[in-house]
Amino acid sequence: MSSIAAAGGMFGPPQTVSREAGGLNTAVGYRYHEDSFKNNYTDYIVRQNQIYSQVSYGASSTWEIYGRIGIADLKILDAFKSADILTTTSRDHFEENWKFFGTLGAKGYFPFNRIFGIGAFIQGTYNFSNFTDDITGVQSGTPFTADLKVKNLWDVNFGIGLQATLPRGIKLYTGPYVYYTEADTYLSAAIPGLQSGTQKTLLSNQSIAGAFLGADIPLAKGFHLNIEGQYTDRFSVGSAITYTY
Amino acid sequence: MRYYVSLITLLFLLSAGSLPVPCLAEEPVQAPVETLPSEPASTDNAVDTPAQSSNQPHDVVANDDDFDYDDEPFKEEKAMIADPIEPFNRAMYQVNDKMYFWLLKPVAQGYKTVVPEPARISVKNFFSNLKYPARFVSCLLQADFTGAATETGRFAINTVWGIGGLLDPAAGRELDLQKQDTDLGQTLGVYGAGHGFYIVWPFFGPSSARDTMDILGNQVLYPLSFLNIWYASLGTKAVEAVNSTSLRIGEYESLIEAAIDPYVAMRDAYAQYRMHDIKTRKAKSLLFKDASTGNTAPEAPLPQE
Repeated sequence: MSSIAAAGGMFGPPQTVSREAGGLNTAVGYRYHEDSFKNNYTDYIVRQNQIYSQVSYGASSTWEIYGRIGIADLKILDAFKSADILTTTSRDHFEENWKFFGTLGAKGYFPFNRIFGIGAFIQGTYNFSNFTDDITGVQSGTPFTADLKVKNLWDVNFGIGLQATLPRGIKLYTGPYVYYTEADTYLSAAIPGLQSGTQKTLLSNQSIAGAFLGADIPLAKGFHLNIEGQYTDRFSVGSAITYTY
Repeated sequence: MRYYVSLITLLFLLSAGSLPVPCLAEEPVQAPVETLPSEPASTDNAVDTPAQSSNQPHDVVANDDDFDYDDEPFKEEKAMIADPIEPFNRAMYQVNDKMYFWLLKPVAQGYKTVVPEPARISVKNFFSNLKYPARFVSCLLQADFTGAATETGRFAINTVWGIGGLLDPAAGRELDLQKQDTDLGQTLGVYGAGHGFYIVWPFFGPSSARDTMDILGNQVLYPLSFLNIWYASLGTKAVEAVNSTSLRIGEYESLIEAAIDPYVAMRDAYAQYRMHDIKTRKAKSLLFKDASTGNTAPEAPLPQE
């Protein structure tokens, strides 16, 4: 099993939405994430739902630092699917419910003029808890039970974004990014046909680059709506409501 | 004498913006937003500072005696409270006083030294946000549905965009959803329940028979009361008390320095302040509003102080 591509979340517009004199902005967001990964043997698809809360500090309309804490589930399709005809499992997918994760990031923005500008960001995420799921099955007529742990899941993202500011303060942005994800997996017992084996397996993503496209739309009374899509091997989409202090 | 002590106390409260109380668990009471009945001292100040009125036309000053002033706004509303267990209360006051000076204040000063003010305000916001159920229920029981909606909006916004209540974006200029300064004791007062008698509780500070129900009710409606681990519950209350005290060190000291008998000053200030709070809340209650004018109905029963 390889490359759990749990990229760390939305990137947001390159230009901070904090007040120019400097100030906080906070956000709550949801993101559906999907990506593909593989090891030396098999391709997998990963799905995550992320809910998070974010606090940012930005100033001068040019820079911002932010921290994010949230919860995410994890589903790995066909993680328990056996490649051995003598092994059958109770189900095919690895599924685990909400676990905490944290994200730190920073971004800078350079305006070309009042409309266009370019920015860059770096963002890293670490999952504080392990993801674990159990399976039962039969191997050559012998029942077995095993659990798979996904530990130390983290990622780092770096990207460049071009931004256009439209009337009413609407910001459209797009750009490329690269990312790296790593995690360790442990299967508690050696089951023929299951790829993970019993050894510690270092996982990392295969596809390292992607692109993002988003919009930041001012609402009323200091609120903003941020919608963003990301594409690597699969498509992810997220939305956040931001409040500027 | 009591009048002057009360007067000094009230002036201090108005200037400081909160009611300093030597207790461990109480949140500082917010300054009344609405105008209190004016003090006679304010008229004295006007006489003592003629420069402030130098821009007025001279004939206005010259004919000052001709005006028939309406004294009604200058009447002080005196709130009295029975104190049949004064020896016990004085003893508890001393207990709280010593607990404040010997334990709470030194700890709060140390805490203040190491924790910056914005962080302490955030902690205060967090605990205040958790007290939403008590304020919400109080508003509902007082038929202040606008207040209940405001509190609900505040709770939702501050929890979601205020990082779990650490920040208070709802009170900002754009949203302007201010905290409803109300409690269950005020609810009883709005419906005409009087103080009963004055009682000073250890840790909780000044209270009354009526407001003791508020202490009990807040235990039921305060989420942290339901922490299963006793030391977690105690710890959070200690943090809350220390944090709250750190934000108002000096207020209580100023009060007792200005008072001849701090116990009496505290008691009178408490009665006066609660009476004002209840009148303010009553003005917001739909039950006591005249449907045609929107004003508080004159026949509405006042608390028997």
